[in-house]
Parts: sequence; structure tokens; C-alpha cells
Amino acid sequence: MSFSTFVTDKTGLQKLYEAIISKHETYAPVEKFGKYDYKKVSSLKECDPDSPIAMTMSVKPLFFPRASKIMKYEANSSGTTIMETDEDPLAGKRVVLGVKHCDARGLQVLDAVNKWDYIDSDFLKRRANTVIFSTRCDKADTHCFCTSLDYDLEKLDALDVAVVNGSDGKIYLQARTGKGDIFLKENSDQSTMYDVQNTMDDVRSTKYEEDMKKQYIAFTGSFRLKMDYKDVNEKMAKRFDSPAFEEASRNCVSCNTCAFICPTCHCFKISDEKIKDTGVRYKSYDSCNNVYFTLEAGGHNPRPAKFRRWRQRSMHKFVYYKERFGVNLCVGCGHCAISCPVNISIFDVVNHVANSPASS
Amino acid sequence: MDYSKQIQDIAAKLFADGKIDVFVGYRMNSFDDNQIPVVITDPKEVAELVFTEKSVFNLTNYLKADHTRNKRVGLVVKGCDSRSLNLLLTESQVKREKLYIIGIACEGVVDDKGQKMQNCVECIVPDAVVFDEMLGTPKGIRDYIVNADIIELAGKGLVERREYFEQIFENCIRCNACRHSCPLCYCAKCCIDQETATIYNGSNTSSSAFHALMTWSLHLAGRCVDCRNCEKACPSHLPLHLLHKQNEKVIYDNFQNHLAGVEEGDRGAFYKYSLKDPDDFIL
Amino acid sequence: METLLVPTLCKVDRIIQETPDVRTYRLKFKDESLTEKFSWQPGQFVEFSLLGSGECTFCISSSATRKGFFDCSIKRAGIVTADIHSDLEEGDEVGIRGPYGNWFPLDEIKGKNLLFVGGGIGLAPLRSLIQYAIDNRADYKDFTILYGARTSADLCYKEEIEEWKKNTSVKVVLTIDKPEDTWKENVGVVPKILEEVVKPEIANTKVITCGPPIMIKYTLQSLDRLGFAPKDVITTLEMKMQCGLGKCGRCNIGSTYICKDGPVFTYEQLKALPDEF
Repeated sequence: MSFSTFVTDKTGLQKLYEAIISKHETYAPVEKFGKYDYKKVSSLKECDPDSPIAMTMSVKPLFFPRASKIMKYEANSSGTTIMETDEDPLAGKRVVLGVKHCDARGLQVLDAVNKWDYIDSDFLKRRANTVIFSTRCDKADTHCFCTSLDYDLEKLDALDVAVVNGSDGKIYLQARTGKGDIFLKENSDQSTMYDVQNTMDDVRSTKYEEDMKKQYIAFTGSFRLKMDYKDVNEKMAKRFDSPAFEEASRNCVSCNTCAFICPTCHCFKISDEKIKDTGVRYKSYDSCNNVYFTLEAGGHNPRPAKFRRWRQRSMHKFVYYKERFGVNLCVGCGHCAISCPVNISIFDVVNHVANSPASS
Repeated sequence: MDYSKQIQDIAAKLFADGKIDVFVGYRMNSFDDNQIPVVITDPKEVAELVFTEKSVFNLTNYLKADHTRNKRVGLVVKGCDSRSLNLLLTESQVKREKLYIIGIACEGVVDDKGQKMQNCVECIVPDAVVFDEMLGTPKGIRDYIVNADIIELAGKGLVERREYFEQIFENCIRCNACRHSCPLCYCAKCCIDQETATIYNGSNTSSSAFHALMTWSLHLAGRCVDCRNCEKACPSHLPLHLLHKQNEKVIYDNFQNHLAGVEEGDRGAFYKYSLKDPDDFIL
Repeated sequence: METLLVPTLCKVDRIIQETPDVRTYRLKFKDESLTEKFSWQPGQFVEFSLLGSGECTFCISSSATRKGFFDCSIKRAGIVTADIHSDLEEGDEVGIRGPYGNWFPLDEIKGKNLLFVGGGIGLAPLRSLIQYAIDNRADYKDFTILYGARTSADLCYKEEIEEWKKNTSVKVVLTIDKPEDTWKENVGVVPKILEEVVKPEIANTKVITCGPPIMIKYTLQSLDRLGFAPKDVITTLEMKMQCGLGKCGRCNIGSTYICKDGPVFTYEQLKALPDEF
């Protein structure tokens, strides 16, 4: 099934964004201290849907919040009551602008773990009610390697509407899902946006696929990092005992930030905040690089050393998740390397391990 | 400022003489002209070592890692780094005889964009204060400069100031990278990680971020050496120095111009008693 | 809102002091209509929360064949368990999520000789299956329980063990590590007693074992020496868990989620996992 594609220009896109923001609950990257984080916006001026990838935090917290309330409780002499918390602020119909392709793929990857066996209906509801607008990057950043992984950026359906910059200032809006298709048709402004199928204008209609391909080729040519993910998957699986994990993680300061900003990391902890007789239970992010992560109450810790935790992190991303759910738990966004105070990239670590001698 | 050659020679000699097991220094990034810390155990890797104005990270952070515990360590320290080292020494976190310290008479380091770092512009102690060997020409201790942001902050009232900080902490994601990258945060279990301390309890609400960062900064008050490892690690680019510099100024004004770790054996402002300490809070 | 993680309230019906640091909490649902709905198999676990302190994973130590309640035996180890021991009284309310995880392979052990090898608090998950098997005694052949602890005071479920002893169709072998004046049963570590006293029949026998890591390690070696096939040795694992639902990633060993694919594994399955527990 093919979905509609529209062609417009910079002003047309801005008009569309403005119309969306005025009509729908919209989230977009908002700058603070040079870093962009997704927040609810009320005008296009507040945000920048074209924020630089290196400076933009993941969109994951809009679906899997950094801290979400599980329940409230109250305990007094008449007994204990467990109360539903306030309404989920993220469950309503909404639009997110300016999501990066890799980041959107991260959500798709997370669907697998949230859908198997026990179904996380809250996560899936947030996903179902959100329309994602995603601009395809024109140029790769220093740490990007999305094209080296197991997904096709050209056809990626983790996003609902792809925005692609064409030649001569043309901008293509391509629906990738049924949800995106309906949304785009409902919100298109006929004075500035033209359906490539309907318009008679030859330049606008017939060449759009070629034009988008050209942008894609230029984009894929701009990558510094390239790898063969199949080779890495295969080799990593045989290197559980490799000393390369120790070498690659030696200058890690175990600050954990890589897991907190990763678009696919989904480990969490459950903690209670208690004030006298009432309390709130939260689900919040945790990191497998944290020494307490697997520390048992009895004092036993299966992963006391840093390299063991690194092994878990990189094997989970490139071996275990793949074995279990068929996809890599890494989307090649490079955020870990950007945020790391000592610039360790998961790319370098897995390649270093994969290229080390195999263990018996 | 380029001491790469000297440091390579010293490290090679230390390994050759069997004086160290590990050397902690800097090497070039594989992708741009910035540097990252490197922990060397193999003398062959010594050739990678560099030191220029891009050598930003405070390496004394590595003294709490598995790789250096109970080992003989060679280490490069700038002025600020040596101050944190001084504190680690007095707090019995490292043994002086296990260390071989290459001190740098630092001319200031630059950030990713090549701009001189703000803490270097305002640096009071550019020369390493504890070392076995000094590289560069010492410049001596400079006059105390009040941080520009703190002057601005001083103009704000208490309520306004609280609001200002709350607005900053809103972007905190509670990853605790600031704490982990701080050389002076070595507690086996930080008070903000204790399961029983329910107000901090890990969850990333803005109130818990506020509490956690405030508590953290107060624990470092009188000890922070303004190396800005925390800011470098913060994924949200929060101006964490505001907390520390504010504390530093209050302590400088009230505790006989105390600056953490400048003197050998310094215990931090709150850990020593002097008759000159302010007592006007006693009614 | 995280609907999956919301607990249900239970009332502490009875607290039994098993040993100086182990107590059994007998729980009943506050909303009695849930009692019927809540069904579990031997080997499954629940997430037990003392509201305000936190959540912990405990196996259900009683069998669903004993109706109306379920037991959790809790050893004082960390912060939450310390709070449970000091704060929780009969009549208090706790949060429960579950049952989660897999269970002992009930079909496979049918018609076999059963040999239970337990150590310390490790008898708790076995007790669920022991009760289940006693209540369906006709389904099994020989029935042996080998249980050991450091001292006689550290033996759990003393009253119930006396009942088991009275049951002529069950053979109970008890042991403690060091001799004590009033102790009349075996003395010696579990693997030694297993080889020297129990001398189990190998053919047609399933071994179900649980205990402290060091006991498990040597027991597995003993069982190997005795000639048991790894697929006939069943154990239940303990890992730090939080969600119990296969989401939080804490109990991952390789691509296995201990909370979903376990906690019950055969020794054969364990051998295939990366060495990380």
C-alpha cells in the first residue's frame, strides 16, 4: 500500500507546522543551555524542528518518561488504600515534530520488549496516539552510524510522516503509515502543499522520487563511521570471554549517562517516595553500568567489575536483544559518544570487541 | 602549551624502571582534534600520550577506578587537578608513595570550540601544587576573582534565586553523571542513592533533582576545586558551576580565604576548626 | 500511569518466626473475591511490597492446593527485608503483584521418584512443590527430602517437617553442618549426606534443589558424580529483579529473562547460559 506524498517549500512547511501547533497538542525540540529536549510547545518560535542531531536529546521520554508514577498510596488506622495516579499526561492524541529518523526507529525497537508476553499498554497507547514528523538528516554527524544498522532509512515506518529536503528548496512530505497518511491529508494546506499524484506540474510530480533518492545518496555518502552489523552480531556472540571488553571500557568513568540518553535503553527501577503515611511509587530510568544494578540484598553481585557491566551493555545491544526480538538494540544515533565525558562510543566498543580474537 | 614529548619520555622511563603499573594521561581522539583520557598498562602505548591545551578532563577521577586501586600510578595533573589530588591524599583515598605525579604549570585549557574555559580565565592556582616533577614555568598563585555568573546571581533575592535554580534543574535527567565524574565523589554509596533517603530516591522528578543536586553541591562545599568535570559530563549542559562557585565564594569570604586543596594536608573548609571561624549565628 | 506495575493489597494473616532471621508471612487478599482468581503453580514468585520501603521478589512458599492463603518466607538480608521484619505486623497490609515466572515441570516429574535437596532458606521454593506433591501423593513414586542448615536453629518450617516425618510415604533426612548436643540426626554438609546417607536411586528420579550458591555448586558436583543427567536436575535461580514482567532488564543473563524464562531451570539449561550469576 502506498501512501501520499506532498511537495512544498520552506514557507509551506512552516505554515503546516504552525497550523499543527495551533490545532493539536504538539511536542518539539526546545533549546536550553545549547541542548534540545522535547517539550510541549504553543508556537513555532519556541522550538526548532530542525535542531542539530548532536544537540538533541532522545524523544523516548515522551513515551517512556524519565520518571512516571505507578501509584499513590495512603496508609492510616483504617487501612491502606492504593490510588490510581493522575491521568497519564502523555496518553492523549498528539503530534511530535522534529524527531530524528534514528530516534523514531528507537521507539520501534522498544515496541518489541513492551509487546512480548505482558503487554505494556501504557507505552503502546502513547505510541498509538502520537503522530511523528521526522526530518531526514542532510548530513551525518561525527558519531552517526544509522545507515550501518538493520533498518532502511528510506522506507522506515517507525515515523508517520517523513520530511525530506529536495533540490531547489523543495521539501517533500511523505506519509509512511496509515495514521500519517490520514493526518497529512487532513492537515494539508492546498495553497502551499501539492499532492505529487494530483498536481499537473511536471517538475513537481514526476521527479520527486529521483529527487529524494539524490538527497539520500548525498546523505549516506557523508558518514564517517561504517560497519557491517551482521558481522558484528555474529562475532560478538562468540566473544563473551574476550579481554577486549576490558580494554575498551578502561577509561569509562561509569557515569551512566550513556544509558540515560540512549533512545533504546529501557532498563528501569521502581522506587517509593514516602512522606509520613502517604507515598508515591515511581518507575524511573536505571543503567546497567551502575554497580548497584545487579547487587542483591545478600551482597552477591554478578557484575561487580566495570568490564562485566560493559559486556552486558554491548552484548545486550548487539547480541541478546537480537536473539530475543530479532532487532539490534542500537540505532546508531551516536548520542552515547556525544554525551560521554570521555567520548566512548558504542560503535568503537563493539567494533573493538568484534575485531578481537575469538574466545574458545 | 605542549608537553606531549616530555610526558611520553617520563612515562616510558617510569615503565622501564618498573616504578609504575599504570599511567593515566591523555591521547588524541580518533575522530577530531580533541583529547580523551587514556589508562595505559602496556609501555608500548606510551607513544600515544599527549598534553596540550585540549587536555581538559581531571584525571584524578581515575584514582577511584578498579584499574588504579592499589597499583602504582603515574599521573598528569594541572593546577586544579592537583588540588583535588591534595584532598584525596588527606582523605586517605590514595597513598602518596604509590603515585608518580607529573605536575603542569598550566596555561589554561580550551573547550571543544577552542574557547578558553571560564574556570581557566578565573583560575587562581594554575600550577600543580603537588608533584614529583614539574613541566612548564610556574606562575604562582593569582588573586581571587569572583565568577561573573555569581556576581549576577548575587543581585537576585532568595525567592528569585530559588526559582532560578529550579528552572535550571528542570532539565536534569538524574543520570548522576556529574557525581560519577567528580574526582571527589568517591563514597561507596552516595547518600542520594540510599534506598532509605526517600526524598531523593532515584526518581527523576524536578523536586528530587533539586534535592539531589543541592545535597551533592553542599557535600562538595569547601572541597570543590572547580575542575568542571561535572559540567563536561552533564548531558543537559546544566551550568553546575553556579552551585559550586556560589559555595566557594561564601567559604572564601567567611573562612579566612579558604581555597580547597591548595595547601598540602588541606582538609576542606568544614573539616577543620579555627578560632577565626564566623560565630555570629550564636545568639 | 504504569498499569502493569500497580500492586494489589493483601493482609498479613499470620507471621511465623521460622529461624532467628527468617519469618513466614501468611497473606490473604484484602478484597476476598480475588482469592479465587489468584492461582499459581509451585515455583512461581510474587513482587512483595512494603509500601514506602520498596518492592522485593519472593517465591510463594506454599502450594495452591492449600486454599485461601499463600505464604512468603522472608530472610532478613537487605533494606526492604529489614523493614519488613521490623515494621510488618499481623493485620498490616502489603502490596502484591504476581504470580510471575515459570514453575516446576509438573508433567515431567509425574510418575517419577522425587528427591528434594534443600539448604537454609532454599527450602522455601521447594516447600511449595513438596506440599503440592504430598497433596497429589499418588502421582509420584519414592519421595525423599534432604534438608540441611548451618545449625539446628537455622532449619525452617520445623513444625511442618515434623508432619512430613510422620507421613510414612515421605522419607525426610535432616542435617546440620556441625554437631550439637541435642541433635540426633545427621551432621555434615548437604552434598556429603547426599552421597553417604541418602544414596539415591538414579534411574527414574528427578532432583529438585535450591539453596545458597556454595551448596548448589557442590551439590551439582555430587549429583554429577552419582550419575544424574543434567536434565533430571531442576533448580530455581535467584537474581535481582524489579518488574518481574520481562521489561526492566535487571535479571537478564544473556538473552534469557530469569523472571520470565525462569526462575526454574534444569541444570542442562543453566549450563547453556553465560556464566554471570
